[in-house]
Amino acid sequence: MWTIGFLIFLSLVLGIGAWLFFVWSVKSGQYDDPEGPKYRMLEDEEDENNSTKKQ
Amino acid sequence: MLQCSHCLIEFPDREAVRDNIDGQERVFCCPGCDGIYRFIHSEGLDGFYGQRKWSETGIAAPFFDKEPDIKQFAEHVTECEPAPGTMESGTKACNEKQIDFYIDNIRCASCVWLTEKVLTKTEGVKFARVNYATHRAKIRWDPETVGLEKILRRIMSVGYVPKPYSESEGFMAQKAEADDLLVRFGTAGFLSSQLMIYSIALYAGYFQGIDASTKLILEFIAMALTVPVIFYSGMPLIRNTFSGLRRLHFSMDSLIVIGAGSAFIYSIYEMSSGGEVYFDTAAMIITLILLGRYLEAVAKGKASEAVERLIELAPKTAVKLVWSADAGNMAGNMARNIERTIVPLASIVTGDTLEVKPGERVPLDGMVLDGESEVDEALLTGESKPVLKRRGSSVVGGSINLYGTFSFKVTKTGKDTFLAGIIRAVENAQARKTRIQAFADKVVGIFVPAITAISFLTFTAYMLKGAALHHSLMTAVSVLVIACPCSLGLATPIAVMMFAAAASSRGILIRGGEVIENAGGLKHVLLDKTGTITLGRPELKETVVVDSAIDKEYIVSLTASVECLSEHSLGRALCRAAGHAVNDPKFRVSEFRAIPGKGVEGLVDGKKVTIGNRALMAERLIRPSDMEAVEDKVRRFEIQGDTVIFVGWDNRLRAWMIVSDMIRNEAAETVAALKNMQCSVAVVSGDNRATTASIASQVGIDTSFAGALPEDKKDYIARLQKDGLKVMMVGDGINDAPAITEASVGVAMGKGTDIAIESADVVLTRSDLRLVPYFIRLAGKTSTIIKTNIFWSFFYNVVAIPLAVAGLLHPIVAAGAMAASSLFVVANSLRIKKYAEGKILCGP
Repeated sequence: MWTIGFLIFLSLVLGIGAWLFFVWSVKSGQYDDPEGPKYRMLEDEEDENNSTKKQ
Repeated sequence: MLQCSHCLIEFPDREAVRDNIDGQERVFCCPGCDGIYRFIHSEGLDGFYGQRKWSETGIAAPFFDKEPDIKQFAEHVTECEPAPGTMESGTKACNEKQIDFYIDNIRCASCVWLTEKVLTKTEGVKFARVNYATHRAKIRWDPETVGLEKILRRIMSVGYVPKPYSESEGFMAQKAEADDLLVRFGTAGFLSSQLMIYSIALYAGYFQGIDASTKLILEFIAMALTVPVIFYSGMPLIRNTFSGLRRLHFSMDSLIVIGAGSAFIYSIYEMSSGGEVYFDTAAMIITLILLGRYLEAVAKGKASEAVERLIELAPKTAVKLVWSADAGNMAGNMARNIERTIVPLASIVTGDTLEVKPGERVPLDGMVLDGESEVDEALLTGESKPVLKRRGSSVVGGSINLYGTFSFKVTKTGKDTFLAGIIRAVENAQARKTRIQAFADKVVGIFVPAITAISFLTFTAYMLKGAALHHSLMTAVSVLVIACPCSLGLATPIAVMMFAAAASSRGILIRGGEVIENAGGLKHVLLDKTGTITLGRPELKETVVVDSAIDKEYIVSLTASVECLSEHSLGRALCRAAGHAVNDPKFRVSEFRAIPGKGVEGLVDGKKVTIGNRALMAERLIRPSDMEAVEDKVRRFEIQGDTVIFVGWDNRLRAWMIVSDMIRNEAAETVAALKNMQCSVAVVSGDNRATTASIASQVGIDTSFAGALPEDKKDYIARLQKDGLKVMMVGDGINDAPAITEASVGVAMGKGTDIAIESADVVLTRSDLRLVPYFIRLAGKTSTIIKTNIFWSFFYNVVAIPLAVAGLLHPIVAAGAMAASSLFVVANSLRIKKYAEGKILCGP
């Protein structure tokens, strides 16, 4: 009985974590540009001589 | 205007990217196209350019401001908020500035890449991101190192045009709604999947046995998970239901809320009495309808984003001329003391003097004071030929100035202008347009009272039989539980989404699901003439050589070389006709001169060539050897609405050329396809009867309605619709907008005017007329699929109603009905995709 209770508790904690992550991703605009990432991943990072690294 | 060698887009000279490729100079619209051209060339694939059959380029090339006005951007600059995640700066205020704006002329991924790289390499720019989908840039910079002006100039230096951007209010509301729906649906989906774990444990317990206390714990958790689904995720539905109930109006929302609510209440009751619970049904019903709503919102958002991009984002300003006080009495000195200021359109009053440069739109109605030009009024009146404007002529706001600069006195502003009149007509039509009720809503309107009645009858029957009150009541509620079809919320949106995806890949944007159901029973299709059936721009149709000693090709090259220097639309048509032959040094032009409203002259190949209309020929004493014969033939073409241009030198007419607004290649087959689909086709145009009738007969249309004012077009449609017929209007001009709004299905060409696009339900981003019958066919198919979806989403639940009435219902039955109908709806909708992949036009 204790095991079931613990597992239920664990699943709820993990679940709530995932849910908070989801809400954050919507609010922070992760779904705003679904097109971009597929191009950006092909770009070469060749900016060793400029100051944009910080971002 | 130049044409990109790679993508054929037309663009102003100063934007050109010139490149020398194997000794030949090529021009490109953007460095990206240049790169691709070089690549194709270096791979020996030049055959591509010969093989492709493009008559139109993809995206309308909007014209833009000559210089970005820093002031317009300044108001969009904000102090940046500390970037999320970079906590090392602590509570220190951020000293960077931030701006969002739209970048015009971006066509492809390489354009985005280039602008981003150029910006990030600018010293002082901390962050630059361009959204691939919306072409909006977000830039943060350090104001001490770099100024906004430099940033804007850097973007312009690579050929892109920054534009101040503010989203329209409606658009922002739409986006906020979609985000809200996503959170609600995501939450519901997440909780429902958790809930399923406990439900399956409960199902297993039902078959294998489970001890009562474990069952109660599981049920209690299930309830805890369902509460937020109903009362948070389902809140908008609950609100709609209550506002609808007050008017005794049953919508889809009421059905969902009745279903989920009764399942929830029933389960809580059963928990206390040791029965089975339906929490999974309650949560799933709401989750699925929210999924449907979200899909709908995304499809709508995509369409309106694409439409916003088609619509010019240029700020509404005009150049106002102000004379300095001391120059008032010295007419000769006036020009020197004129001050030009850019002012917002709203601040202009009657009597102000405005200046219009070539390529610009005339901002308001007025009367020309100074200067001479020709103006394209086709979008306003349907008249296909440019109209000469000189001192004293009246000009109409919205028309496009073709080649001369002129100033005019404003005679009408605000609500009195011609354009405002049309906008009013559009608004009137919008207000009167009865939204056809979606099929699903019609069904629900009958279904809700019906199941309520069945449920009530069940209750009465059980009571009469002598069953206990709580038993009768719960059986009656179980009828409501099973009757609610949870895939109903998916039935329409998923089909609409499949349709929108398939259609947009072909170049059709739809702005709402209703239009699909409307296009199902179309009986009439009305086409505008200028710009819809025709290309809306003149092309060289034929060259007739009078002097038999001269070669036809020679004449065309000679004429083109002179006309290529002209900004006139007819000149450009002749220039295009000759292609690259003009680059021949033999055809170098000197002493070029344009005579407004008449033609051009120039010295080419040792000849003083005069090209122009009849009046210019008479002035220069250029005559054919046989006047009568030429005049006779020329007349015949002029009656049809074609323009005839004469070419001559040394007092002799050498050739004449017929320039006309060419009919789109695909127009005739489109008309044939529409007739094949049992639609009657007609032309409505503001142009004169002879031209309209001639064009109509050339594409196989019998009915034409010429000389129509914008209001006439609208009334014509209203008359047809009065008999209950469904009418589609296809157009591109300002003058079509009221008719497009009035029609059951309004279609605008993507290259059309903003107002036509805004008033349309459907926008063709590729100006291909064949998309019209394709759209009708696909919409008809989709409409059928929506109906079958709705039928099947009810089917499994309705079949289970007798079980509920008999009191034999179990949660597994409800879950089974839910799964079966959802799967069916999704699979059925996928058929649209397959159907859409077929040919654009079916064979006759």
